[in-house]
Amino acid sequence: MTNLADKLFNPADYFTFVLDQEIRDAGMPGGYCGFALQLAAAPDLQALQQRLDLLVERFPQASAIIETRGKRYAWVATGRTIPLEQHQCQPGADETDETQRLLLDIFNRPESRPLTVHWIAGAGGGTLLLIWLHPLLDARGGKILLDFLSSEHPESFKESPSLIEAKLAQWSFWKKLQLFFKAKRHNTAANSLDSCLPTQVEQGPQVLRLKVQRFDTDQSQRIAKLAQQYTGLTGRTLYYLGCFMRAMELVGPPAAKDGYCIPYAFNLRRQNAPTPVFGNHIGCLFARATRDQVRDRKGLFAHLLSQHKQVVRDELDLAYLPLMWLGQWLSPARYAKILRKQHSGGELSSLWFSDIGDLSWGKKGFLGVPVTNLSLMCWMTLPPGLALLASQLDGKLVLSYSYLSPAVDEDWLDAVIATMNSELLETGES
Amino acid sequence: MKEKLKNFIFAELIYHEDPASFGDDDNLLDAGLDSMGIMRLIMFAEKEFGVTLPDTEIEPDNVGSLNSLDRWIRRSGQA
Repeated sequence: MTNLADKLFNPADYFTFVLDQEIRDAGMPGGYCGFALQLAAAPDLQALQQRLDLLVERFPQASAIIETRGKRYAWVATGRTIPLEQHQCQPGADETDETQRLLLDIFNRPESRPLTVHWIAGAGGGTLLLIWLHPLLDARGGKILLDFLSSEHPESFKESPSLIEAKLAQWSFWKKLQLFFKAKRHNTAANSLDSCLPTQVEQGPQVLRLKVQRFDTDQSQRIAKLAQQYTGLTGRTLYYLGCFMRAMELVGPPAAKDGYCIPYAFNLRRQNAPTPVFGNHIGCLFARATRDQVRDRKGLFAHLLSQHKQVVRDELDLAYLPLMWLGQWLSPARYAKILRKQHSGGELSSLWFSDIGDLSWGKKGFLGVPVTNLSLMCWMTLPPGLALLASQLDGKLVLSYSYLSPAVDEDWLDAVIATMNSELLETGES
Repeated sequence: MKEKLKNFIFAELIYHEDPASFGDDDNLLDAGLDSMGIMRLIMFAEKEFGVTLPDTEIEPDNVGSLNSLDRWIRRSGQA
């Protein structure tokens, strides 16, 4: 029976829930993501707690639990408050290292709640950490949620229905069917190229670790200029993906196969829209290239851009919505197999990737306090055991690499990151 | 043509509190039109107006405002 307070998963919520279950089944905490904002001073923590209370009052989903409703899953409100959890850096320790250690301690602990908020106090400022479970909301939703917590006008944030359900409702049955088969053919093509992976390990106890690369304004502008030169106005994301493929190929992939396949999200949210706050409103696209294509830098970008254009031209960006819609009726384990496994039985994704875009708070800051730095993190399945999250803070590019240890070798990753940096800035051999 | 483009942009790609107040020369990139949005906009225009917009001409001068888009589409239609 469905209670009025229950909120059924939308097709993209279920898609992310399936991956959350894969991560939990492998002994890790689940499909959690985190935004860590370094603040120049402590914000008003009492005001922040009051805003968290308002969040639960306005959006009961924020502290809900997941329950089954027939074959479907739903958020069921509990009304529990979300306490602002406070932590303190050890006095005398290097604050950057200590903050990173605390961030990862918190992120690695077993968790069942969909949303937790932490304040890690340093000597002057500190770090605000927002951790959410991916079925609850997508990364753009994470930014909107932080905006809600910091806004002078929280009443302007309203919930609205699923953009995916709205899109699906626009299409006739035949249109959905046509798109479904398009997506299926696209999947078959993606499955035909065995993916190189960052590790050969497929199981065993793992902890999540993080490496963050921050580029200054000049470097970020140079990268943006090169992205425009190689992939045009339409392909900044593709530039990051291409550079990463090349970095992995140049260093040498630990599990060497035929090529690279990197899924990346297609967002249905309009840019700058303050709603919806919760729910996932994303589809999925794939960047694919053979190892030969990856070795030719200029040719790779042309290939990725042409592939991407063809995908949009063929409406494949939208074709995943009917596929996800039908996936809702599959068990998590069966759906996961379709999502992850290639025909050969190998893992499809060479890397988990998301370009979250601009995460700036401007002069107003977060609750009036300037945001001086940023790092992002997320759990992922093993393999690939590696995720890259790209974002911009005040015009500066931030690349956050989350990885599973010991599955992904740290020295190998350091070499990949160094090569990635020179690929992005075009300072290496090409 | 501009009305159709404007309706698509503000229904699907960019949130604006008052789309009616958005001028034909206002900057779409500053308003939030991102790389994926540009691609979807171009595909919409090609399908809706039966033109082919050359990849080599995808630049701020052609997609920066409703007026520049309008000129680009008309020019490409005549080519």
